[in-house]
Amino acid sequence: MNDSDKHAPDPLLNPQRRSFLRTAAAGGAVAAAGGLTGLTFGSKEAQAHAYEPYPTDDQLTTVVTSCDHNCGSRHMLVAHKKGDVIVRLSTDDGRYQAGGASGFETEQVPQLRACLRGRSYRSRIYSPERLLYPMLRVGERGEGKFKRVSWDEALDFIAKKMVELKAKYGPTAILDQAYAGTSYCVLHKSDQIEGLLARFLGMFGCRSNSWSVPSYQGTTFSSRITFGTIDDGNEDDAFAHSKLIIMWGWNPAYTFHGGNTFYYMRLAKQRGCKFVLVDPQYTDSAASYDAWWIPIKPGTDAAMLAAMAHHIFANRLQDQAFIDRFVQGMDAGTMPDWAKGQENFKDYILGTSDGVPKTPEWAERICGVKADDIKKLAQMYATVKPAALKASWAPGRAAYGEQYNRMAAALQAMTGNIGILGGSAEGVGKGWHAESVAYPYDEYANVWYASIKSDRWAHCVLNYPNVKREEVGLWPRTDKLDGVVPNIKAIWWHGSDWFNQLTNINKEIEAIKKLELVVCQDSTITPSGLWADVLLPIATHFERHGVALPWYKGHYYIHRPKAIAPLGESRADFQVFTELAYRLEKLDPALKDFGKRYNPRAGRGYFDDPDDVDEAYLAAWWKDKVQAHQGVTMSWEEFKHRGVYKFEFKEPLVAFREQIERGKPFQTPSGKIEVFSTTLAKVTDWTKTQWGYAIPAIPKWIEPFESLNHPLAKIYPFHMVTPHPRWRTHSIFHNIPWLRETFQQEITLNASDAKRLGIRTGDTVEVWNARGRIVLPAYVTERCMPGVVVVYEGAWMDRDAAGIDRAGNPDFLTLDEPSPAGAFAYNTILCNVKKTERAHKPGWDVQATARSHVFRRDY
Amino acid sequence: MAKKLDKAEVKKALERKVVQTRQPVVPKTQLGFIHHNVDCIGCRACEIACKDKNNLPPGPRFRRVMYVEGGSFPDVYAYKVNMSCNHCADPACLPACPSGAIWKRADNGVVDIDSTLCIGCRRCEAACPYGAPQWDPKEQIIKKCNMCIDELEAGRKPYCVMACMMRVLDIGPIDALAAGTWKTTALGPDDKPVRQVKNMADPALTRPSIVFIPHSKGRVEGKS
Repeated sequence: MNDSDKHAPDPLLNPQRRSFLRTAAAGGAVAAAGGLTGLTFGSKEAQAHAYEPYPTDDQLTTVVTSCDHNCGSRHMLVAHKKGDVIVRLSTDDGRYQAGGASGFETEQVPQLRACLRGRSYRSRIYSPERLLYPMLRVGERGEGKFKRVSWDEALDFIAKKMVELKAKYGPTAILDQAYAGTSYCVLHKSDQIEGLLARFLGMFGCRSNSWSVPSYQGTTFSSRITFGTIDDGNEDDAFAHSKLIIMWGWNPAYTFHGGNTFYYMRLAKQRGCKFVLVDPQYTDSAASYDAWWIPIKPGTDAAMLAAMAHHIFANRLQDQAFIDRFVQGMDAGTMPDWAKGQENFKDYILGTSDGVPKTPEWAERICGVKADDIKKLAQMYATVKPAALKASWAPGRAAYGEQYNRMAAALQAMTGNIGILGGSAEGVGKGWHAESVAYPYDEYANVWYASIKSDRWAHCVLNYPNVKREEVGLWPRTDKLDGVVPNIKAIWWHGSDWFNQLTNINKEIEAIKKLELVVCQDSTITPSGLWADVLLPIATHFERHGVALPWYKGHYYIHRPKAIAPLGESRADFQVFTELAYRLEKLDPALKDFGKRYNPRAGRGYFDDPDDVDEAYLAAWWKDKVQAHQGVTMSWEEFKHRGVYKFEFKEPLVAFREQIERGKPFQTPSGKIEVFSTTLAKVTDWTKTQWGYAIPAIPKWIEPFESLNHPLAKIYPFHMVTPHPRWRTHSIFHNIPWLRETFQQEITLNASDAKRLGIRTGDTVEVWNARGRIVLPAYVTERCMPGVVVVYEGAWMDRDAAGIDRAGNPDFLTLDEPSPAGAFAYNTILCNVKKTERAHKPGWDVQATARSHVFRRDY
Repeated sequence: MAKKLDKAEVKKALERKVVQTRQPVVPKTQLGFIHHNVDCIGCRACEIACKDKNNLPPGPRFRRVMYVEGGSFPDVYAYKVNMSCNHCADPACLPACPSGAIWKRADNGVVDIDSTLCIGCRRCEAACPYGAPQWDPKEQIIKKCNMCIDELEAGRKPYCVMACMMRVLDIGPIDALAAGTWKTTALGPDDKPVRQVKNMADPALTRPSIVFIPHSKGRVEGKS
C-alpha cells in the first residue's frame, strides 16, 4: 500500500452493513413528465409532520434581518418567530427585494445566502454564554468571578473611574480597543474610526487609539502607498469574467470576501477560467476550482513574486505602454525627475542596483518553489488576459507582509491588469461604498491623544515610561502631544475580543494586571470579558433597530428591525454610551451637555426606550444620505416593509476604471500607481513616522524575523500559520455547539512530518515555542506542506494552572512584534510539535458526542 | 468467530425476505437530490440550516457533508459528498421499523418518519446503508430528513437546498435529474450526473434517490 492509498478515503460512505438486494418486484420510480421546467408541488397546507407541534414557516411571523459579525461579507437572515421567540432562521430566497419572487436570482442580482455561521445565529442569541445583566468583578482580575449589579451601579462605577483616570493620568489613559465584532450596522458601530466608543471617548477627552488593523494592515499600507486608497476592489461579480485567477494565500471557501465571490468564481470556472493557488495548504477553494497548487514556504511570498517579475522583465512580457502611462518607478524611464538616480523596481529585480538578480532560481532557494513553476506561472500571468492576481491579506499578516502586497501590486501593474473587467488590483479589495453612519459623525468622530500599533499595547504598558515612540508606532501629531507615549491605565472593549485575538497572549496577561480599569461590553461572555472589571450586557442586532451594511464587497442594504425584545437587561451600545455621557456631565463640569451633544436626537429616556429616536436617525439617514447621494427612490417605509434594497449596475464595478479609461489621476502624490513611493522616498527620520522603522521606497524582499530559513528553525522546526477558520468569525461563534460539532479546533500537519513524530489524526499534541504552549488534536494530511503547521485563530483560550492553553489558541505562540508598516506577525511563527498526554478542551461546555462522528473528515 | 456463511445462501434468503416483506410504494413522482461533488466548497451551511430548521441538539445530523481527500503531497485531491436521507425507492429503513413509524409518501416518494410512533429501537439506523436515520440522544428516538415536507407542500424547496451558497445542491424528479434533463444550477455545462460515487453503498441495495456530479477520483468504473 503506497502513501496515496493510505490516505485514500476509507469506505466511510459504505459502512459495513448487511447488504440489501434489489427487489425485482419494484416498478421503479415513475418517470417524471418531460418538459417540466420548474417543480410544481402545488401549494397546500402541510399536514402531518414528524415533530408535533411543528409550526411551519407560513404559520410564523417573518422578519427580514441579517448577520452582523466581522467577516468580509453580509448576508440576509430571515427570522421566523412566534410571539417574541425566534423559532428558526432562513435566508434570502429572492422574494424580498423589489421585483423579487421566491427562487428569483440573476447574475446581476444574486441572492444573499447566509453561511453556516449566520445560520447558527439562533444558538448565539439564546446561548448559555449570553450576558443578561451588568456584572462587577469580585475576584482577582482574570479569575472570572463576578457579581450581578444594577445598571446604575455599573455605570456609576465606570463614570467615576473615568473621571479619576483622566484627572490623574491625562488624556491618553484610556485605550480604545473597540473592534469590528458588531460593526456592520449604521447605528451601532464598534470600530476604531467610525465607532461609537471612539466618538464617546473623544468627546470625553481621554482616548488612546489603536491604529493598526489586525486583519490587513500590511495590505492596507500597500494599497494606500501604491494606489492612494484602499478602494482597490472590484465588486464580486467581476470575478466571473476572469480567464485566470491566482488565489495567493486566498481561500474564499473559508473567508467570504463579498457575499457571492465564491459563486461568481464557480461561474468563471464554467466559462473556462483557470485557477492557481499559491499557499502552504491545498485548500477547499483549490479543490472546488480545480486549481494548480503551488505550495510555498510561509513568509516568502515577496521573493516568489519578485522572481515572477524577473521572468516578465527578462522576457519583455511587461505591458510597457501601461507602465509608461500609469506607473511611477517601475523602471528608470518612469522615475520622477526629483528621484532620478534612486533605485527603481526593474533595477532591483534584475539585480542592476544590488548585484542580486531576483531570478526564479534565486527564489527557489528561499520559497521552496521550483524555478520552473515560478516561470510557468509568470508566463501565464503575463500572457492570459484578463487575469486576476488576488493578493489576499493572509500572507500580509506577517513580518514585512506589506512588501508581499506591494510586490503583488507591482505585478498587477506591470501586466496591465488594473482597471479592466476580469483583472484585479486587490489588495484590500474594498468595492462598492455604502453610506455607513446614521448617528452624528462630526469633528469628535475620531479624536485621539495618542495612537499606537494595536499589538504594542502590552509592550507599552509593561515598559512605560521607558518606551521609545518607534517601539509602539506612535502616530505623529502636530501639537505638543507629538511624541508623547501614552500612559495607558485602562482598556475598553466594545465589540472586541482583542485580549484573545492579539499576539503573544502571555505578555498581555502580564500587562493587564497593571491596569486600573477594564470595561467589556458584549452580548456574550468572551475570553476577554473574563479579564474585565465591568461587564455590560449588550443587545444583539436582533434586539435593536438598525440597517446592515455589506462591507468588503456587495451593494445592498438590509433592514434590521427589532425582531425580538432585548434579552435580560441588555441594552444597545448607543444607549449605554448615551447614558454614560449623561452621568459624566454631572461628575465633570467641563463636559457640559455631553449627553445631548453625544446623542442629539435623544433625551435621558433613551436608555429605557430607544425606538423613536432610532427610527428618526435611520429615516434621516435614508433620506439625507441614501436617497440624496445614491439615487435611491424607494421610500424608507417601503424599504422597511421589504427588508432589503439591492442596487443593480449595468456592468460589474471595477476599481480604477476611471483612471485607466479616462485618465483620472490616482489618489497618490504623483497621481500614478506608485511602485516607487513618493511618501516613503521623502521620509528623513523614520522614528518620527507611525511606522517607526525604515521601509524601502520600492517593494523589496526582506528576510522575515522568523522563517524556515532562519537558524531558529533548528530548535523550532515548524512554521505555523494561523488563518481564519470557517466555523468562527475570529473568536465569535466558538461557543456554538452546532458549529463545534461540524468542525473542531485542530492542528493540521503533513503526513510525513506526522509519521516522523508518531502522530496520527485524532491524537492530542502540544505545540510550543519560547512564548507559549497549547494543546489540541492533530489532523494529519497530505494537503499541507511539510514543515508547515496550521492552527486556526480564534479559539477561546482556556489556560490551565501551568499557563498552558488547552483550547489551542495559536496566539499564545505569536510574537507582538509588528512589521514596520504595522502588519501583525500572525503568520510569522516558528514552533515545535509533539504528542502529549495532556487533555485538550474544545469548549467551555460539555457537549454530546455525535454518533455521526464517523462521517467527519478525519476518518 | 462465527461460522463462515454461504454467501449464495444468504443472498437467496435475503431476496426471499425482501420480496415477502413488502411491496414498496411507487410514488407519482419520486423526488431526489443532486449534488456537485467538486464545486461544493464544503461550507456546511446546508447542515446548519437543517439543524436549525429541525431544532436538533448536537449529535443527530440529518445532512452530512463528507470530506474526501487523497493523493500524496503535492499531488493531492479533495472533494465532498453531501448526503442526507436519500428517500430510496426501496428504503431499507422502512421494513426494519417494527412500529410502523416510517412510511413512504405516495405523491413525492419522501420517506418520512412519525417520531411519535418511534420506540427508539434503532433498527432503521442499522439497516440504512447510508447512515441517514439519526439518533437523538436527548429524546431517545430516531429522527431523519423528510426533505422539509412542510416546505415542499408550501411550494418551496427544502432548507438545505435554499441554503447552498454555491448552488450545487438541488432537488428534482430523480429520473430527470439522473438523465441530466432537469434544469438545475447544480449541473455545470458539461456535467453528467451519476448514481454512485466511490465508497458509497451500491445503489442497487435500496435505489437511493440521489445523483452526483463526481470528482474524477470519485468515479466508479462502469457506473453511470
